[in-house]
Amino acid sequence: MTRAVAIARTAALSAFGPGARGLGRALAIDAPLPGIPAEAPLATPRARKMMSRAAYLAARCLGDLVRELAWTDEGEHIGYFLGVGASGGSLDDFLALLDESIVDGAFSLHRFGDRGLAACNPLLAFQLMNNFTLCHGAILEGLGGPNSAVFSRGAGTIAALAEAVHAVSSGECERAISGGADAPTHPTTVAELAREGFVARGLVAADAAALVALEASPSTTPDTTIIEGCGIASGRGRPIADAIADAVAATRREPIEQVDIVVIAPWGPPAADALRSWTAGRFPTATVVSTGALGESLAATAALAVIAAADLLADAAGPRRAIVLTLGVDGDPGAVALSRSAA
Amino acid sequence: MTVAITGVGVVSAFGVGTDALFAGLAEGASGISRIRSFDASTFPTRVAGEVPVPQADAAWLAGMLGGDGTLAHELGAAGALRDRKIGFGLIAAAEAWRTARCGAGDRGASLVIALGLEQAFLEDVVPIFGHDASGRPTIAWDRETRAPGVRFRSPVDLCARSIHAWLDLRGPTVVHASACAAGALAVAHAASLIERGAADLVVCGGADSMVNPLGLGGMCRLGAPSPRDELDACRPFDRRRDGLVIGEGAAMFVVEDLARARARGARPLATILGWGSTQDGYRVTAPRPDGRAARAAMERAIARSGLGADAIGYINAHGTGTPLNDPAECKAIHGALGRHASRVAVSSIKGAVGHLMAAAGAIELAASLLAFERDLLPGTANHSERDPECDVDVIGPAPRHARVDAVLSSSFGFGGQNASIVMGRPA
Repeated sequence: MTRAVAIARTAALSAFGPGARGLGRALAIDAPLPGIPAEAPLATPRARKMMSRAAYLAARCLGDLVRELAWTDEGEHIGYFLGVGASGGSLDDFLALLDESIVDGAFSLHRFGDRGLAACNPLLAFQLMNNFTLCHGAILEGLGGPNSAVFSRGAGTIAALAEAVHAVSSGECERAISGGADAPTHPTTVAELAREGFVARGLVAADAAALVALEASPSTTPDTTIIEGCGIASGRGRPIADAIADAVAATRREPIEQVDIVVIAPWGPPAADALRSWTAGRFPTATVVSTGALGESLAATAALAVIAAADLLADAAGPRRAIVLTLGVDGDPGAVALSRSAA
Repeated sequence: MTVAITGVGVVSAFGVGTDALFAGLAEGASGISRIRSFDASTFPTRVAGEVPVPQADAAWLAGMLGGDGTLAHELGAAGALRDRKIGFGLIAAAEAWRTARCGAGDRGASLVIALGLEQAFLEDVVPIFGHDASGRPTIAWDRETRAPGVRFRSPVDLCARSIHAWLDLRGPTVVHASACAAGALAVAHAASLIERGAADLVVCGGADSMVNPLGLGGMCRLGAPSPRDELDACRPFDRRRDGLVIGEGAAMFVVEDLARARARGARPLATILGWGSTQDGYRVTAPRPDGRAARAAMERAIARSGLGADAIGYINAHGTGTPLNDPAECKAIHGALGRHASRVAVSSIKGAVGHLMAAAGAIELAASLLAFERDLLPGTANHSERDPECDVDVIGPAPRHARVDAVLSSSFGFGGQNASIVMGRPA
């Protein structure tokens, strides 16, 4: 069984603020972005002890999405495929643990086992396990269908989306939720991005969560955005233009001739240049919109781009096709082909 | 299209190589030992399924991989091999590639791998650790980015990138991060890519090591490991079970279309017939006690295989040896297999090799190949007292001779992710 897969609804928490509607238009016109509301981070004692910031953002975003959908009685069968980032536990706990483990200026394993471990929150491991970025939300919303958490510094989120689309198109589940969530402003991640040279080359870290709800749909249904396919490619050891072309080619069996909108999701200026250059050569008449103003949200960026593309397609009159092109810090490009039939 | 496993590579508490795993399981032995790779003398638990190599360093890795040793020495020079799973994953992938008789014409392969968490390098952090004016501990992050050799942690995907480079693969890479279910999910994902024509050949599996101070310590803080500091600490399905024992290692496979495998002269070791995943959606700290979601994962896998439940001849269980997992899993088995559940042989290898976390599902699939390769079902180390709450036919410590044509393997992750896979004997 192979069925068309439609985007039923979207939700996001990003520099655009809470919500997804209008995200594409805001990016297209360079509208000012308010940022995530300040009260969002880890507000409750439960969240504080059990959740990383990424898990909190994902759970809150999922809650927003589920409340807007009429799927609540089917949670047991809803799939959930999420791009997740690196560990992001509380540094306070980690520092307390370390503080108890240093003797005469050196780390002491003996002291760590004896006293350091006892100094930290016993539930710290739940913050550190990055699959909990998926699991906390699934537990809160009672999702029970097929699932996976895919590590992502860019293309992994497209891989997660591809699995969600396949799960619905193959009939493994009727409905699925996919996207990504990450908190790259965590000091550990910022330091890693700086050490790898991304900050110096213009990367601006921004926390975000972004989700799309997917369901089977006849491909001819009016006013419906269909995900035609997803593709990722290896960027290692070859020209990035070739890798982008491979990712796009992997989205569909037939070559894509006409594209009206291209949403690019670069990690920073060099990636934006590469994506814009490729797009100008391949789809010279397409309108190009970048997620760059949102900052780089690692596992969430690709999902934000998909939401922006869906938003722009919904705004447009007549049948349209959009391509999302991503190039994250992993160096592996990703692509998503979307289309929308006329009302 | 039929998905076949044509190559396998393993690093485990029994040593390097699939043969070492098969030999250990065939003897009914245990690879659990006192931790030797670091001083765990003050830790709540001091035993693990540790790979028997005290220093998984560059020289060791270079010797295992062969070649000019460049990659091993680059990883060693960067301090990356302190995260032991990187070397384990590389060695297992190289063995899988070799045993599948893959060559230059197969380098378009994709890589789908399950990897555990980053390893924190606590000793590196000390030079940038201090206290602020109010006496609160803090880290000088600006120094972290500049100080040579300082690494707060290893990158999650470094093992994947290293394998991709070592095998010189051209296809895309996907890293599964679904805790203890990740290994099975990675293999299922690989099988799905083959089945739907999205890849011709996939290198897949898992690698993990929590046998490090923060990994072991964090699990101890959760109360997951057995509190007994004994080599028989993990006793799956046993009435006296009281927790898991941490393991480490890797298991990697090459999977491809069976017809393609035969056309290029590769020997199929097993077929991957079905897979399924679900989520408990229940609690952060405990599995669903009725096993309902785990049962659904098993049912999905069996249904997808096209077999009846009564065709399953052996179940390689998740079997952590924790008080909560094992009875819930037995309920799930009964639910999924019905009356056949009491007739099917069940075992867990975690008492012998430990819980490999992200790699658990992968190594348990590798262990299950023993059923097809030698007509031998792995035993359950340290299982001696039957638990009425675990009323399935648990194979004791010694392996059991039997010819079976289909195997069900299940993995359940912290947080409630469940995955099951059905493998078949190749015709």
